[in-house]
Amino acid sequence: MHEEIYEIKNYFQYYILRYSGVILILVLWQILPEVGLLDSQFIPPFSEVVVQLCELTLKSELMVHVAVSLWRVIMGLIIAAAAAIPLGLLLGGWLTRAADIVNPLFRIFSQVNPFSLMPIFILFFGIGEAAKLAVVAWVCLWPILYNTVSGVRRLDPVLIKTAMSMNTSKFEMLKKVVIPGAAPSIFLGLRIGVEMSFFMLISAEMIGATAGVGWLFHNSAMNNQIPRMYAAGVCIVILGIVLNRFLIYSQNKLFFWKGSTHVFSFAAWKKNVSGFSKIQLLFVVVVVSAVIAVGSYAAHVSKVSDINSNSSVQMKHMQMDKKEHDHMNMDKMDKNKTHDYMNMDK
Amino acid sequence: MSYENINIKNRQYKIVVDNIRKVYDVRSQNGQDNERFLALDNFNLKVKKGEFITVVGPSGCGKSTFLDILAGLSKPTSGKVYIDGEPITGPALDRGIILQGYALFSWRTVEKNIEFGLEIKKIPKEERKKISEKFIELVGLKGFENRYPHELSGGMKQRVAIARALAYDPEVLLMDEPFAAVDAQTRESLQEELLNIWEKTNKTIVFITHSIEEAVFLADRVVVMATSPGRIKEIINVKLPRPRINSQIRTSQEFNLSRNKIWELLHRDADKKQTEVSV
Amino acid sequence: MKCKKDTFYKFLVVFIFIAVWEAASRLEIVNSLFIPPFSSVILALKDMFVSGNLAANAGISIERALTGFIISVVVGIPLGYLLGGWFSKVNLVAEPVIEIFSQINPFILFHVLILFSGIGEIPKIAVIAWTCTWPIMFNTVYGIKHMDYSVIKAGSGFGLEGWKLFWKVGMPSILPSVFVGIRISGGYSFFMLIAAEMMGASSGLGWLILNNQENYAIRNIFAAAIVIAFLGLFLDIIIQFVENKLLGHVSVS
Repeated sequence: MHEEIYEIKNYFQYYILRYSGVILILVLWQILPEVGLLDSQFIPPFSEVVVQLCELTLKSELMVHVAVSLWRVIMGLIIAAAAAIPLGLLLGGWLTRAADIVNPLFRIFSQVNPFSLMPIFILFFGIGEAAKLAVVAWVCLWPILYNTVSGVRRLDPVLIKTAMSMNTSKFEMLKKVVIPGAAPSIFLGLRIGVEMSFFMLISAEMIGATAGVGWLFHNSAMNNQIPRMYAAGVCIVILGIVLNRFLIYSQNKLFFWKGSTHVFSFAAWKKNVSGFSKIQLLFVVVVVSAVIAVGSYAAHVSKVSDINSNSSVQMKHMQMDKKEHDHMNMDKMDKNKTHDYMNMDK
Repeated sequence: MSYENINIKNRQYKIVVDNIRKVYDVRSQNGQDNERFLALDNFNLKVKKGEFITVVGPSGCGKSTFLDILAGLSKPTSGKVYIDGEPITGPALDRGIILQGYALFSWRTVEKNIEFGLEIKKIPKEERKKISEKFIELVGLKGFENRYPHELSGGMKQRVAIARALAYDPEVLLMDEPFAAVDAQTRESLQEELLNIWEKTNKTIVFITHSIEEAVFLADRVVVMATSPGRIKEIINVKLPRPRINSQIRTSQEFNLSRNKIWELLHRDADKKQTEVSV
Repeated sequence: MKCKKDTFYKFLVVFIFIAVWEAASRLEIVNSLFIPPFSSVILALKDMFVSGNLAANAGISIERALTGFIISVVVGIPLGYLLGGWFSKVNLVAEPVIEIFSQINPFILFHVLILFSGIGEIPKIAVIAWTCTWPIMFNTVYGIKHMDYSVIKAGSGFGLEGWKLFWKVGMPSILPSVFVGIRISGGYSFFMLIAAEMMGASSGLGWLILNNQENYAIRNIFAAAIVIAFLGLFLDIIIQFVENKLLGHVSVS
């Protein structure tokens, strides 16, 4: 009994120590603006930010924006993966010499700054979902391609030899040996893609969007709603952490036989001998479906309002671009247009 | 001799290696010319059904090349290999290969690893399970069906590899230094186990090894190879009784005689070259 | 040698790409309004250079990027050492904080800093430094955690100890990882520079792109993008050179 209490005490102590840094920062965040050491106009106390977060959540506004942003990441990822994985399998498995030759060209492409591409994408696709999806897809494409190729090339040749000796057909070889063998590497590429594209998406949403957490942040900033801005920022950070931990957890679960590889993780690593349980899978599927459902609906709504508010998309570009030199007005204009559409309906 | 006669003659033996020659085109150092590297030359061998043949030779003498050709993974430049009188045209399920380094599919359980060949053979699920159960028991891994390779020791992994090769019932087993990655003690017990399995299943086995002791312990006949080009120097008959048990065989006189003979064969030319130089 | 032939093919592929670009644009296979021919981009590049426009903006951009980059190196490496695992209590407390801070998007930071200090040099340089510090820090930690202990044991067998042991034996096994981080950061520095300049600036290459976008001067956009790519490449080459000098080899990143 005494030992149990001692253990609990220790456990408790450990956790307090662990999060003491975070707690300290939150306390400072609360106190310093209140006391005046930090200008509370520029950085409101933490409690105000929390209030904003709750408000946004209650109005279900926050959930919609989160869903839209996640939807963009998922869709862009799917597009990139649909192109990159088959190509990677082909280059890594069969056309290895071609892979070597094309490598420098692809490396140059991957180095092309997505920011430089954003104006081009916007010109191409207009300020709609397609441009943002294109940015996400571009950012995801290269890590997925590279990691797929390398995953296939690093397959143990003895495995392939063994399967060949059994006269395995090319298709079966692909399905039963190559893909499962390269899967950990492919997943790594997917993970890098998700994290990089989430990063880029935030900025893309700041430039041209009407929904999404990045837009929420930018919009609040432009309308001088500072607590709301911080709330959106906190939301983005939390999303980032959740995404990162989820991906690493999945990697650990799916490829339990590989052992932990990623170093820069702060989550506890356990070597499990199992895949995902049915309940976990169900949970993931439900969440992802919800995101896709809500996200596509919201994206559709914003697209429709975009198109209907002007006669032609091209004209809209020129009007918008010429009218503003800073992005401040753009969001306001968007907002007005959306309102107009809704009013017109009534 | 007419074609039919050759065929009939060949069918007496399980494996007939008829004057195999393997040449590789290799780019030379300066990258300009293609040098030709003679890996195997004048290779003739006849293996009876149910025989256990081991192949020893110095590094790079072409042992693995020979095995690849037997497996159908590589084509000889000239000459043919016949299995049951029919020339082989490529890899097939009548031969099984076990390579150094286990090559287990780390994402499959022990059971599923063993069933791999059966899946290729398109055997239905129920039957697969029965067969894999049988072979799991044969290699002594009962209870480990649902374990994954990373949970197994080296010796256990090798046994899974053997079971996997046996499961789809090839008549010929080709083994390329399968016990090289295992520690010495496990190696000796695996050798005994392999002989047990061989006697129970009556397969024809061609076994490549670096270890002369291993070659003598296992084989009916030992093929001693020479290098550059890879060719058969001599084939030694091993007159040891079966079943071969570690404690009895390894200290016997006959064992040592055979071992020394092979050792001599492998080092004779090398020593000769040395004495020539010093003179 | 196979290598030489392959190098030739590699250049050939790039050349073919440029040729296809040129042809596709001139023949209107792709809309030449959106993708102007490569030759006209080069011409635009020349014009911009001659007019002094390019040099001035490039200079400002380089200044910002390098300042941020250098700050990140100076801050990142010591921070990485601190968190290398010597002090487990420090790591215990610091890790959750770092996990949270590393997720703070630099674009967020940018706008927050603008609140405090307006649109000036500080938000841009700070954001570049912020983005670049993480790879260096993480890779330094990685290097320390994966230090080759057998080498250290060998070194102490020679009688080295303490600082000397660390400096002569430990450091060289950590440095390759550190340089991996430095190279990654080098890439990020120009990346974030453009982002920052596009979000709020009145000079620099990023601003130039934005400006040209508004005026539909597509050729100039491509030209500026090429310049940016080359500047990034150049920085990478310099880093590789330094790495070669210090370590005698270049790490693959």
